[in-house]
Amino acid sequence: MSSSETIALKLNGEVREAAAGPTTTLLEVIRDQLGLTGAKKGCNQGVCGACTVLIDDKLARACLSLAVNSVGQDITTIEGLTENGEPSPLQQSFVDNGAVQCGFCTSGMIVSSHALLQANPQPSIDDVRDGLSGNVCRCSGYRKIIDAVRGVAGD
Amino acid sequence: MTEARYFEPETVDEVVALLAADEDAKCVAGGASLVAMMNARLVEPSQLISLRHVEELQKIELNEDGWLQIGALVRHCDVVIAAELTEGNQVLSQAAGLIANPVIRDMGTIGGSVGHFDPAADYPVALAALGAEIEIAGANGRRSVPAGEFFIDWYETALAPSDLITSIRVPPAPVGSAGIYEKLAKVQGDMGIAMVAVVMAMAGDAINYLAVSVGGCGPTPIRLPDAEQALIGGSVDDAALQDFSNKLVAASDPVDDVRASAAYRKVLIPRFVAQAIDKAKAKLGEAS
Repeated sequence: MSSSETIALKLNGEVREAAAGPTTTLLEVIRDQLGLTGAKKGCNQGVCGACTVLIDDKLARACLSLAVNSVGQDITTIEGLTENGEPSPLQQSFVDNGAVQCGFCTSGMIVSSHALLQANPQPSIDDVRDGLSGNVCRCSGYRKIIDAVRGVAGD
Repeated sequence: MTEARYFEPETVDEVVALLAADEDAKCVAGGASLVAMMNARLVEPSQLISLRHVEELQKIELNEDGWLQIGALVRHCDVVIAAELTEGNQVLSQAAGLIANPVIRDMGTIGGSVGHFDPAADYPVALAALGAEIEIAGANGRRSVPAGEFFIDWYETALAPSDLITSIRVPPAPVGSAGIYEKLAKVQGDMGIAMVAVVMAMAGDAINYLAVSVGGCGPTPIRLPDAEQALIGGSVDDAALQDFSNKLVAASDPVDDVRASAAYRKVLIPRFVAQAIDKAKAKLGEAS
């Protein structure tokens, strides 16, 4: 293929169509075309973590993932982590612990935390630090973010 | 800019044919390095060749000769947990576990990292210590290049434009060896200021196998096989180790960069190597 083509992505359990060229990133498609703006475009270099999503249950940077290369894979964004339209216990824990300041990093923090808790339901403080080492909060609200993740652990 | 073309071949031969037909074509594996460079407009590939459907590149396999073959598309997160990497070969899983952060370890592949060859990357240092080989498919067929010859200069490898890394082959670990991989970075997840990989075995107090590789202190990982050999049969004594470290410092060619000065790295090498050897010795003590 060259230029833009219609592709079908498996996004949060639904098949969604979008137009993508070979270099269009998954982040551009989910934000600009499909209107899911939870994942943020921060650095566009894979460093900041604001665009973190799950692809086939593994963490991925949507900004470093080509949309055409993601066809056929199960993509989950922050919007797909809600439970019947309600915040998940992890999302609620971020609210309850005041772990959101400007909010720009929050989606990525929650997606990374979700993956961490799937692999390790009772993480220590160091485990959470390791698990979130690829997500940057420039408000530096790390302490409350760690509290939020550990607040839901084991529930 | 002209829009790139996109392909999803299923065999290594198809990939090589596509690469051979257009030297501005690039392969996409995890995307962690290439797409970041595309987003920064540092590269504009004319063709993108996705490797995701090339079965041959996905496996970890123990070959009949005892070498472990790790497909180019194996992700860092899967190298971290590869049970086949035992004894001294654990330097490779340790190195994989220190690459960037969990997200990048879930995306990035060993072939992508080795082919991109950032001189501050972790795998090259471990592969040099292990005497691993890089398996390559190219226009003239397949070949195997030892890690020591594969990494040539800053961002330069033995790869020709139409070459594809198919796998990394790791020799069996020396019997009774232990491996230590260490990385000094300003913050967790950053590229290293310096890295060291040590594979060591001892008989009583005497060293009977030693491989030491130092990274981040020159264009390629530093290994001094003759100097390693000179330590065999001796104990890990401070004078011999100091002499060995001095040779590593002399062989280094670090640069000043945002992470540290060249002078700092030269001071660091002997301490870093001594610390890693100490840890390897302690690990061997625990095992026996």
